[in-house]
Amino acid sequence: MHRYHSYLLLLLLLFFAIGCTVKAVGDPKRPITINAHITVDIKGLQNTATDIEDYVSGKKSKDSLPIEK
Amino acid sequence: MLRRIFILFLFVFVTAMFLGIHPVYAVEKYTIKEMTSAVQSALENRRNRYGQLEALKRQRKVGENNRGYVEAFSSEGSVRSLVEAENRDRKVIYQTIADQNNLTDALSTIEKVFAQTQRDNAESGDKIQTEDGRWVKK
Repeated sequence: MHRYHSYLLLLLLLFFAIGCTVKAVGDPKRPITINAHITVDIKGLQNTATDIEDYVSGKKSKDSLPIEK
Repeated sequence: MLRRIFILFLFVFVTAMFLGIHPVYAVEKYTIKEMTSAVQSALENRRNRYGQLEALKRQRKVGENNRGYVEAFSSEGSVRSLVEAENRDRKVIYQTIADQNNLTDALSTIEKVFAQTQRDNAESGDKIQTEDGRWVKK
């Protein structure tokens, strides 16, 4: 099993190296702008939209609004 | 036997990683974190004009576009002012969700999701704009 453990470790290190290397090199007088990607959970947004529209249409009461308590 | 299970597990794991299959995550909850007076009145205004807006939709004087807003198909001043007021309030709600959930760059996504909800909720015969921009009767 030792051999397989080393393979697994190597594999995990590889994923780590591929996924986490971010380098920004440039002139400090000209800052680099990095456009970060925003991940939006569409299902979560759909739930929010449904809750709000159900309130607006009168199907549901104010308690159903997605308000942080 | 254990070795085979281990190899099988490893194979499945690696394949899943390369195919972009990830574990199922909990659905994110986007909320109104602070009920400002602006968003509160936008919600109340929308609720109060809902009946009027629905009546205009049945007459096909108003339709739901694919950007989360209503559009007037009538030149009547009362229809146009109602549409403008409705869209102003919708914008406040969308912008609040974006601002309060760190989604300021995703406003158009929020609008599109609301547009889809409006299409889903539309009654048969209502005017709706499909994702590719065509106006159709539901």
